[in-house]
Amino acid sequence: MKKLINIVITGLMILSLAACSDNEFLDVQPSKETPEQALSSPTAATELVNAVYNKFLDFNESSFSWIGITSITTDDADKGSDPGDTGTDKDLMDALTFTSNTISINEVWEANYQGIARANQALQYLPDLDIDETLKARLIGETKFLRSIFYFRLVRMFGGVPLIQKVPDIQNQEDINVANTRVSKEEIYAFIMTDLQDAADNLPVSYSSSDLGRATKGAALTLLAKVNMYQENWQQVYDLTNQVMTLGYSLTPQYEDIWKEIGENNSESIFEIQGRGETPNKGVQGYFVVQGARGAGGWGWGFNTPTEDLTNSYEEGDERKDATIIFRGETLWDGLLVAETVSNPRYNQKAYVSKTMESFNGGDWESNKNVRILRYAEVLLMNAEAALKVGGDAKTPLNLVRKRAGLEGLDNVTQMDVWKERRWELAFEHDRYFDLVRQGRAGEVLRAHGKNFVDGKNELFPIPQAQIDLSKGQLTQNPGY
Amino acid sequence: MYSISILKYLRIVEVSNDHDLKNLKNSGVHMKTKLTLICLLLNFFYFQAQAQERIISGTVMSDSDGLPLPGVNVLVKGTSTGTITDFDGKYSISATDGESLVFSFLGFETKEVVVAGQDTIDIVLGESASALGEVVLVGYGSTKKQDVTGSITRIKAEELVKQPALTPTQSLQGKASGVQIISSGAPGSSPIVRIRGTGTVQAGRDPIYVVDGIITDRIDNISSEDITSIDILKDASSLAIYGTRGANGVIIVTTKSGKAGKMQIDLSSYYGMKDILSKVDMASSSEYVAFSNRAYGYERFSPDQQYNTDWFDEITRTGTVMNHNISISGGSEKITSFFSGNYFEEEGILKGNDYRRLNLRGKASYNLSDKLKFDHNISLSLNRSIPKPYSTFTTAYKQSPIVPVRYVGGSYDGRYGVPFDDSGASFNNVGNPVAALDLNDEKQNNLILQGNVSATYDVTDYLSATSRFGIESGYGKSYVFTPNLQQFLAADPTREVSDFNSDNRNTLKVRKSDFYHWVFDAFLTFDKRFAEKHGVKLTLGTTAEEEQNEFIEGTRNNVPDDSNLFSLNNGEEGTDIANSALSDKRRLRSYFARLNYDFDNKYLLTATIRRDGSSVFANTDDKWGNFPSVGLGWVVSNEEFLNNSNVVNNLKLRASWGQLGNQNIPLNALTFNSDLGYVFGSDQVITPGSTITAIIDKNVGWEVTEEYDFGIEFAFLDNRLSGEFDYYDKLNKNAILPISLPDVFGASGITLTHAGKIRNRGLEFALNWEDKINDDFNYHIGGNLTKNDNNLEEITNPFAFEQQGGSLGNGQVTKRLKEGQPLGSFYLLEVQGFDERGDFVYRDLNNDGAIDDRDRQFFGSIQPDIYFGINAGFDYKSWDFNVQGYGNTGSMVYNGKKAQRFGGENVEASVAQNIFNFDNGSNMNPAPSNEVPLSSTYFLENGDFFRINNITLGYTLPDVISGAKKIRIYALAQNPFIFKKFTGFTPELPGNGDPLGDSSGIELNAYPSVKSYIVGVNLNF
Repeated sequence: MKKLINIVITGLMILSLAACSDNEFLDVQPSKETPEQALSSPTAATELVNAVYNKFLDFNESSFSWIGITSITTDDADKGSDPGDTGTDKDLMDALTFTSNTISINEVWEANYQGIARANQALQYLPDLDIDETLKARLIGETKFLRSIFYFRLVRMFGGVPLIQKVPDIQNQEDINVANTRVSKEEIYAFIMTDLQDAADNLPVSYSSSDLGRATKGAALTLLAKVNMYQENWQQVYDLTNQVMTLGYSLTPQYEDIWKEIGENNSESIFEIQGRGETPNKGVQGYFVVQGARGAGGWGWGFNTPTEDLTNSYEEGDERKDATIIFRGETLWDGLLVAETVSNPRYNQKAYVSKTMESFNGGDWESNKNVRILRYAEVLLMNAEAALKVGGDAKTPLNLVRKRAGLEGLDNVTQMDVWKERRWELAFEHDRYFDLVRQGRAGEVLRAHGKNFVDGKNELFPIPQAQIDLSKGQLTQNPGY
Repeated sequence: MYSISILKYLRIVEVSNDHDLKNLKNSGVHMKTKLTLICLLLNFFYFQAQAQERIISGTVMSDSDGLPLPGVNVLVKGTSTGTITDFDGKYSISATDGESLVFSFLGFETKEVVVAGQDTIDIVLGESASALGEVVLVGYGSTKKQDVTGSITRIKAEELVKQPALTPTQSLQGKASGVQIISSGAPGSSPIVRIRGTGTVQAGRDPIYVVDGIITDRIDNISSEDITSIDILKDASSLAIYGTRGANGVIIVTTKSGKAGKMQIDLSSYYGMKDILSKVDMASSSEYVAFSNRAYGYERFSPDQQYNTDWFDEITRTGTVMNHNISISGGSEKITSFFSGNYFEEEGILKGNDYRRLNLRGKASYNLSDKLKFDHNISLSLNRSIPKPYSTFTTAYKQSPIVPVRYVGGSYDGRYGVPFDDSGASFNNVGNPVAALDLNDEKQNNLILQGNVSATYDVTDYLSATSRFGIESGYGKSYVFTPNLQQFLAADPTREVSDFNSDNRNTLKVRKSDFYHWVFDAFLTFDKRFAEKHGVKLTLGTTAEEEQNEFIEGTRNNVPDDSNLFSLNNGEEGTDIANSALSDKRRLRSYFARLNYDFDNKYLLTATIRRDGSSVFANTDDKWGNFPSVGLGWVVSNEEFLNNSNVVNNLKLRASWGQLGNQNIPLNALTFNSDLGYVFGSDQVITPGSTITAIIDKNVGWEVTEEYDFGIEFAFLDNRLSGEFDYYDKLNKNAILPISLPDVFGASGITLTHAGKIRNRGLEFALNWEDKINDDFNYHIGGNLTKNDNNLEEITNPFAFEQQGGSLGNGQVTKRLKEGQPLGSFYLLEVQGFDERGDFVYRDLNNDGAIDDRDRQFFGSIQPDIYFGINAGFDYKSWDFNVQGYGNTGSMVYNGKKAQRFGGENVEASVAQNIFNFDNGSNMNPAPSNEVPLSSTYFLENGDFFRINNITLGYTLPDVISGAKKIRIYALAQNPFIFKKFTGFTPELPGNGDPLGDSSGIELNAYPSVKSYIVGVNLNF
């Protein structure tokens, strides 16, 4: 018996010895970088900011849903594709019959807040990183610029939304309350303008060739002008656009070239989302395929097709008509004959990538297409519109745009002239719906186009019901939904 | 005889004592304690020398295989005189006339022979029908079924091999109460196993397997022929010894070992044909045209169509299945060994879909000394599969019959048919399923190696120490060849090679993956009876585990088209994409203790505790959890008042309570997502980007499941009627659910936390009747039934949300997770009928005049209320016959392939033939439309089914080949009949096992149920 007791005791001692090292045994390192590891890298600061840029490549941020909300809703575009093919809910976008349950709307909400979260992560870590102060200021500027794009998209769609300024703690009730409360539209605009002013103060006018594509001072000022335009601060719009006009931008001689590979990041470009068509591909997911011609001889899904109304609206000789619209049966600039058998009569040429004349490796999901966000022509048009309000020269900037399009200049410029010019110049650049609402004539124009635009309701999109549910009903719905 | 080791004596004495308990008692002999018996038998040579009577000798053989049985206990009834048979089954013993000899052996019937002048008594022992003496495995040890206080079901080898299948789990279907096996007929697929319901949403839902003592996640690398028994541990009292690994149940598999004695060779083979069990009739060309033209509202298609393609016929074939198995075993008293080889081959019903597997297993056991035993076991499983996309079952369903497989004649001659109308416009998005199969070129090879060593040292006759180490490791390689050019051409008949503008003619992706998992166990077992009536068994041990997996893959474009040249080196330089991932290492460290106590074999107590630490909780404060359990039992049949009962052979009541843990979640660590690069610069360089995109909860810890179980086990009427009833109530008290943080927080990916309580409550019945009328005829009939009530009892986290699931990929979702509903519940609009135009009329639940998500309701779940299995059979002379069935009731199935319909796709014949009638406005189907339908009750169908899953007829040949002990030939039909209400291909839709998933309980891209007809032969030498 004594022997037995000895054995048991020895056994227990061995077990308890093993126990001492248990916590060491259980302490495994994750196979992905922990914050400590990631932040100790010399490139950590840049990587944090690059990840914010990366958000613009996501399907939910810049692609199908966003196209539906900004284009298919308008008089510029029809749903496209085949009659029975809804593209999830693009038929609802086309008819303006979407509801708070419509998926695209929730997707865009989600995407932009994911972008804001990435920006907030970067802004949380950047100040403490041990890097060159100039670089740090620039990176913070870039991040704030990008964050303001996300908020600008949200505020134009929904009006006031929850304002998330930092990385939230899900255990903290105050952070939860902030997340569940819509602040006013004005507060969001004020926040955007502060971000953009900070960005403008810290960003360089241009970059070395290896950093081409990063946000510049000009980009921040242009967006600031645009944000002011939406608030009708016309003097600021005028001043800011004038400031941008001194930064060395110029119009691309041939309008059509802007959307070709040779037009990427050119002197007209102020900010664009970058893409490459070589292995490994990197670009906005699905942007090219979703809008590519459909059916026999086609190359895509065939959504977001130019309307007859847009086609017929162009003045005689406007080069922009043919540069914006792919016509069934035409031969494109790269020699491609668009087959008569494609499903729709027209497609969006601004989303077109040439498989023969541009870098294209067959990977069409993430294509070479750079999506243009801000360009100099818009600065001129904003300048012209502001000039009409504050009593400046609207004719010169407007006519620069018209002449580049192969049109005669106008002698007397009216507000409607600028608005028409915006439609032709900026068609399919994700602006039309918001532009019409801003101009206060969305109902008039869209109802004339046969859409059921309800005044007092359709100026804004519905807050996604899913988000209201997540907030336990705290988020309020927009009127009419 | 003198060479038989003490070790062996000890083992046998223990066994005989247990087994003969009743006999000894019935004969009125004063109960012998184990200890006394051990002492007596250790000294039995002494008794032998003392005896004055005549010596009787003979041989004991097994009834089943005719082999001699070594180690059979031979006892002179009413005395303490006994012996055991030697290696050749021989014995000799002293007895006087009039006395009886009792022959007993574990797992065999006990026989009594009266001595009446014979010098030789040869005995044939039949295998025991009763489960009384049966030993079951309980985790880190074994115990008599009689002493178990928990719910354990044992499935024996012969039951498994009756239902030939790739994996043993498939063969378990319908054989055990409380165990739901949901299988897909796909070659190489493993079924989903749920023990006592689905207890968790996010964390692992699958049971674990313990093969020869070693924990593993898989047994699909084991052939059924290699298995001796499977023990399924179902309640907390049995499972708590596995602590954190036990919440979803444990399946203990014991593989065959060599037996001391003569060499044994077994051969078996079968061959079979497979075909689809129930086909869905699709509309013909003319029906399709009529339907579609009405949907379009104009005559888009001419009624005169050139083609009438049956797409389902075009993609399917008669499948075949083939299996060959050999095993060789034998050994001496010092060494026993076992070897087996198995080859399995299946050609699936989908053209080109093949699977092959080769298994090799070697096992040996050494008695190094009287006290030290050493075992090793090594197995290798090599498989090759050629996958084909199961989405083609859906595309074949959807593609229009007016589209040809290939065009005949004209300028498109020989091209794949695509859905273009006469004007060249496309009318649906469905590809050509034949082209999809032809142009899919994939191959996968996997090798799984498992090995373990174990040593047991008997310190004393009541104390032993066991240490085991097991390691498994798997290697996979695969290639995927994508012929981009051919796919481009196949998508549009007007395309020419010159139209292909890409540099990327084809892409080859090569992938290699591996995993490893090791387990180390060490435990002490103390087993002793005190003062005759107090049986004490104590197990004390520790275990550690680690696992990790990794893959690396590379892609290059433009390799030569021949598969022998599928090496990345042969691809185009500069088109490389490399990718790899290393999983988080997972480690587990545990301590466990179990006490089994019985008083007089009547009152039983089992108490266990396990303490587990897991590396998964990297950011959680406490990595450790304690999981206790206690079980009580009362063997009523061992009480005095039932001692002499001829009616009640066994009756046991038991009750147990325990807590189990589950830790199967991803590593709870805050990490950077480093795959977020962006293109900068005039050279378009991808610059790395990384940030934190997920939100984690630092408080995530163990899921704790608490379970109560009450059971009755019985055997009546000479053990002819036996059965088991159980009631269980299993509550996952802090289920880990993916919570929906408001998207404003910006998290992408899933945030997991403790958010709810999930209850599974149910009843299990198992009943079996077997009788032997005479030597020529015996029969059995039995069945089991499980009623399970699954419910998401309570939501406890403010961010828990009614998570949606069951997406059809057309913008429609069908399932929702909600408090008070079972997991996997369908949440749909209710169709009330059709309006005058034949459009759906949905119920406007909230009467707001609009139909939206707020009008949805719950209409049942994918989970059945009841599932059951039956089996019956008889042996008549050389014939054996067996039939088995399996079914369930109360489950719902969503006809996803029908509900997903985009415009221009085909419809079922029954829909096309019953088009909505404008005149009387009443019909079963809506008017033809090309709108994507909302998810509604119209597509929800009853999932009840009953399937005859096996009918076997076998014949054992008389001695036709010299040397062969037994030759049996058989024919069997698997799944020959199904009774179901569902109109689709199969109501059994395991999906990925996620109750909210897009494929579980939803028929979309699902593999149809198949029936097979098999002939086979077994030979024993």
